[in-house]
Amino acid sequence: MLSFIIRRLLIIIPMALLVITVTWGLIRLAPGTFYSTEKKLPPAVEANIKKKYGLDQPVWKQYLLMLGNITCRTKSADETTTSGVQFAIGSVNVKCFDFGDSLKYPDRSVNQIIRDHLPYSATIGILAYILALVVGLGAGIIAALKQNSAFDYGSMTFAMLGLSVPNFVLGPILVSIFSLTLYLFPPARFGGVSSLVLPVITLAAIYMAYIARLTRAGMLEVMRSDYIRTARAKGLNEKTVLLKHGLRGGIIPVVSYTGPALAALLAGTVVVERVFAIPGLGTMFIQSILNRDEPLTLGIVAFLSIMIMVFNLIVDISYGFLDPRIRYE
Amino acid sequence: MIVLGLMVLAVAFGPAIIRWTTGFTADSIPSDGDLIKSFPPSWQHPMGTDEAGRDMLARVLQGGRISLMVGIISTLVSLVIGVSYGAIAGYMGGRIDNLMMRIVDIIYSIPYILLVVVLLSVFGGQNTPEWIQWLSARFGGAGNQGLNQIFLLFFALGLISWLTMARVVRGQILSLKNQEFVQAARATGVSTFGIIFRHLVPNALGPVIVYATLTIPSVMLSEAFLSFLGLGVQAPYASWGSLASDGIKNIGIFPWQMIFPGVTMALTLFSLNFVGDGLRDALDPQTRKF
Amino acid sequence: MTRVSFVQFRSILAIVVLSSFLISCSTRASSRYFGQTQVPSDNIMRYTTGSEPESLDPQFVTGQPEARIMMAIYDGLVEYHPKTMEPIPAIAESWELNKDGTEYIFHLRKNAKFSNGDPISAETFAYSFRRGLSPELASRNANLAYYIKYAEAYNADKSFVKNPDGTFLHKAELEDKKDAPAAPETAAHETVGIDTEFHKYLDEPERLTVPSDEKERNKILDKDAKLKTALAGKELVPVKATDIGVEAIDEDNDPKTPSYTFRIKLYQPAPFFLGLLAHQFFRVVHQPSIEKFGKDWTKPANIVTSGAFKVKTHRPYDELTVTKDPNYWDAANVRLDGIEFYPLDEQTTMLNLYKAGRIDATYNHTIPAPWNETVRQYKDEYSLHPEVAVEYYSLSVKKPPMDKINVRKALALAIDRDALAKFRKTIKPLVDFTPEGIFPKYEEARRKVYAEELAKIGSNLDEWKARKFDAEKARKLMTEAGFPVQQTGSGYSCPTFPVDAVTITYNTAESNQKVAEFVQAQWKQNLGITVPLKNMEFKTFLPFRSAVEYSGAVRNGWVGDYMDPFTFLNLFYSPQNDGATGWWDPKYDQMLDDANKETDEMKRYEILARAEYYVISQQIVIPLGVPGTSWVKKPYIKGMYPNPGTLHPWKFVYIERDQNKWNVSMDDIMTTEDPAVEAQLKTLTATQTEAAEKAKMAEQTAAAPREAAKTAKAE
Repeated sequence: MLSFIIRRLLIIIPMALLVITVTWGLIRLAPGTFYSTEKKLPPAVEANIKKKYGLDQPVWKQYLLMLGNITCRTKSADETTTSGVQFAIGSVNVKCFDFGDSLKYPDRSVNQIIRDHLPYSATIGILAYILALVVGLGAGIIAALKQNSAFDYGSMTFAMLGLSVPNFVLGPILVSIFSLTLYLFPPARFGGVSSLVLPVITLAAIYMAYIARLTRAGMLEVMRSDYIRTARAKGLNEKTVLLKHGLRGGIIPVVSYTGPALAALLAGTVVVERVFAIPGLGTMFIQSILNRDEPLTLGIVAFLSIMIMVFNLIVDISYGFLDPRIRYE
Repeated sequence: MIVLGLMVLAVAFGPAIIRWTTGFTADSIPSDGDLIKSFPPSWQHPMGTDEAGRDMLARVLQGGRISLMVGIISTLVSLVIGVSYGAIAGYMGGRIDNLMMRIVDIIYSIPYILLVVVLLSVFGGQNTPEWIQWLSARFGGAGNQGLNQIFLLFFALGLISWLTMARVVRGQILSLKNQEFVQAARATGVSTFGIIFRHLVPNALGPVIVYATLTIPSVMLSEAFLSFLGLGVQAPYASWGSLASDGIKNIGIFPWQMIFPGVTMALTLFSLNFVGDGLRDALDPQTRKF
Repeated sequence: MTRVSFVQFRSILAIVVLSSFLISCSTRASSRYFGQTQVPSDNIMRYTTGSEPESLDPQFVTGQPEARIMMAIYDGLVEYHPKTMEPIPAIAESWELNKDGTEYIFHLRKNAKFSNGDPISAETFAYSFRRGLSPELASRNANLAYYIKYAEAYNADKSFVKNPDGTFLHKAELEDKKDAPAAPETAAHETVGIDTEFHKYLDEPERLTVPSDEKERNKILDKDAKLKTALAGKELVPVKATDIGVEAIDEDNDPKTPSYTFRIKLYQPAPFFLGLLAHQFFRVVHQPSIEKFGKDWTKPANIVTSGAFKVKTHRPYDELTVTKDPNYWDAANVRLDGIEFYPLDEQTTMLNLYKAGRIDATYNHTIPAPWNETVRQYKDEYSLHPEVAVEYYSLSVKKPPMDKINVRKALALAIDRDALAKFRKTIKPLVDFTPEGIFPKYEEARRKVYAEELAKIGSNLDEWKARKFDAEKARKLMTEAGFPVQQTGSGYSCPTFPVDAVTITYNTAESNQKVAEFVQAQWKQNLGITVPLKNMEFKTFLPFRSAVEYSGAVRNGWVGDYMDPFTFLNLFYSPQNDGATGWWDPKYDQMLDDANKETDEMKRYEILARAEYYVISQQIVIPLGVPGTSWVKKPYIKGMYPNPGTLHPWKFVYIERDQNKWNVSMDDIMTTEDPAVEAQLKTLTATQTEAAEKAKMAEQTAAAPREAAKTAKAE
């Protein structure tokens, strides 16, 4: 098991580099530049910009420099940057994981931007995840156990409603009711617990619905399987059967689904961030792509891809715990 | 089921009927400046009009064409690719599984918007390679950029919608593949292909079908977002997703702009969901009557 | 299954109906004000600026959201007038212009300070201008300063050519004699300040400059044999920052003390240049902190500012707070204690915050068209005034079928601009290229010139105005262009028009889409052609448009950089113009050059109007409308005016606690005088009015201009 985890952790590095390379290529292929605006730039101004950002160098040099910056390279004496991890081996200064400065927001380094904005999306994301998990799992399990009961239909209708009403619709509806009519919660901006309520509900709704439905389906599937019948036959009480045996097998689809979902939640979701004016990472990510802000895009992609891979690893490990029949060799 | 059938019929023939009876089409903006505004529902316009004075009923029916097509085709694509990919990875295990799932991880990590932007600039604009033009001329008929766009749209949507499906299926297969019935099948000499598709996949269908019905709304919404990038249905026509996202901005003032597309969409999703439940019951090997 | 689905349908319907009922009840206009209207307890204004500012470096940033923030934290030689946006004195208390209009002398206040207490002097301004132009900063706004002598040469890294005898090669020496100016420039120049060594250098005829980079230079030399021989064996001297035409005049000849006279030398007269100086690019920045902190100088802990407010905190994408700066020279007249800027660009979110009483004002174009009818009922809060901006469609004039002038004219005539204005609610119909209602004097000149020009072709101004919409004539022109329009039933058809070869392309934005849909419907109804629409993501769209890759029509628009019609007419100047049509005409360029050499205001406007007539009669673009400001502010915010650029000099803004003195109608706000603001303006402009009067009197008494300058300076 340990060697499996180590192998999987190690492979993340080349995979992340591959993702970054592909992304870098895509940015270069995409039309438009970070400096293009409504007003055309005179050639001299454009030349200055190209020179400043090293765009006048051959492409392979630019690529290698980018790769060196985001992994590790030696640092020359005249560099003043403090971004990334810096240390010295003997007399050689080494600088690692520096994604450089944003092109759109030159005052800030990419590492700083991620550090600044991650907490916002992470707060809302984790809260929404917990809410979705608790409500979704709870509703799903009860619905599965009381199949075809009023609760089953009621909760599944609600779940379907959660799915049929996209969050860009749900958010404004909640705002209209709770902020602009009842004046209970602020309509937007981040600050204080009360400002978290609406965004978290909006964000959690769709995941809640997904999880509820997946749990119900998974549980129904499992509760009919032979080993549950065996467990029941052994005379175990219903609670033990349900929680020790049923749930463990039944939530496998939920686990497969929520692994990547958690990574996506942490990284922020554009719609909710925009509706509630929350300075999360999701908006930064989309904007960086639309702005052709190469370092920022690469930084967030690197962060995101590592997160996704780590979460998927956790999912794979948890399979083993949830279902003893799943083995990794 | 009935609702779904009606819906399909309505979007297929509705626009023509409305045009024939009232003369309104999804893109007709009145020439009189005073009529270019959003009117509430009336006998003439049962769903009201949008800001440009266009009949909402005609727009909703027209929008249903693209949304239903996008929803169903992309979900089928994700079913076909996702299920077979996930099942093979899950059953084979070991290195093959590892490799296949890492590919999924990588595709999942590449920024999707960027991919679409590049796709569009390569295939959607003036620089479209000839073979794509040839294909779209063959299957498009009309010869305008419209069909090219639809091909691209399905490609773009299909590209991502199968990824999570593959993960869900793989997770299920992993837990199923060591069960007795699989071992029994293996012992009786059923081929690997047979085991995967005749024994494992049918047993994993419950969550798969639920997940598939969940994919439909999310694909419809992705389509609304892709039209922001210039991919998907082109103005003056709109899909349900974009109608709803336009309508929500005005919900405080013109609620009908939101409610009618929203309710139509919700009704359709609902009925699709029941079809899904029915399908699962019909295909479930444990409830199937031989 | 049927029973269940019925129950479920019923519940979903109930929820939707209930929620929409709740919402529609809540938005009905019932009170005088839009949402919660309570004066904030502190003296701090909360404002939304649009997207997050790119930086707090005034010389780097380009957008309007940034401009509004920069106006709070930096001060320049001049400031925008809160109502008209004309330049009014800021750090320069008065200024003079020499006779031929190429030299400005600014007399600076001696009490202007940075936020850390350091004095602001002419040297600081010289530094700021040089920094803005440095190739290392690579500012995208550098070209705004290209009117300054040798500014472009320095920014583009060029070199002077030194003759072996120590003199420099002049540009005129290489030009054909017939083009050379009749009189040598040296003799004609006059100055209004002290004549210094540096000034003598600037007064020389323009020196020749060539690229310093060898590759670039050889490219030019290979094309120009004459230049090559002229350069052979000569030394190249790179243009330095200190070579550009800005000078801190050291009156007491003591380099250690700060001086307070600042001179700017231009290549050629640019009557709009003074107005341009209020732009954030020309505002003053603090040299020691920039040199000390490098690119980190804009961090809240390090930043030193020069404006009425200083930076307190900055949480990107969330909030930027500024507080009143006690070191500001005019701090006594700054009435807000601070401003909180919220970077928001989602209109619905913004209006929700406004309605909930959490922000006090929004910026221009923040009321979505559907909301307009509701919001505009709140007359005390909603502003709709013309902007110094135009919306138009560019046409691909080099590609068929747009290469036919009658096709272009027909398409322009077939759009009912009044209906468009009714539909979009915030734009005013436009058939010419410069916006109406912004430059009254120019419009006067334009009417005169147009009447003359139209008389030549047997037409008149009324017929000209009718171009707002004339479907009949459009069909006739289209038929004449070889695409016959036939009547079919109640509509029209034009089967020969190649609709597949053209599109209307626009960048994704709701308003752009609505306009495009409208134009498409109009062409369909009036000409029987259905032109496909195509939307694009912004950055993909930009190169597509500017390289004229499109065929047909493309969405375009322009916001004026300064208050002069030239900012619009300049769009078609030079072969690489911003018009995105592929059209260029040297005759047009000549007309614009002639206009700027003219010192008489009205005569200049007449030449510009002739140029406008020339370009618009070719119909290379289809003007659509002049956008309106369309924003809201709470009635207790005063001193904030809907000027043509929605750029607010913040020191005039204040919070009125007495409800009787609140703003009553935004429609009249530009004509209503606010005693507090008027008094403030009067004190501010007094210095310049006095100086101007002195100069005039001195001229009238036939004294030499030099004398007048001295008197003015002695003030």
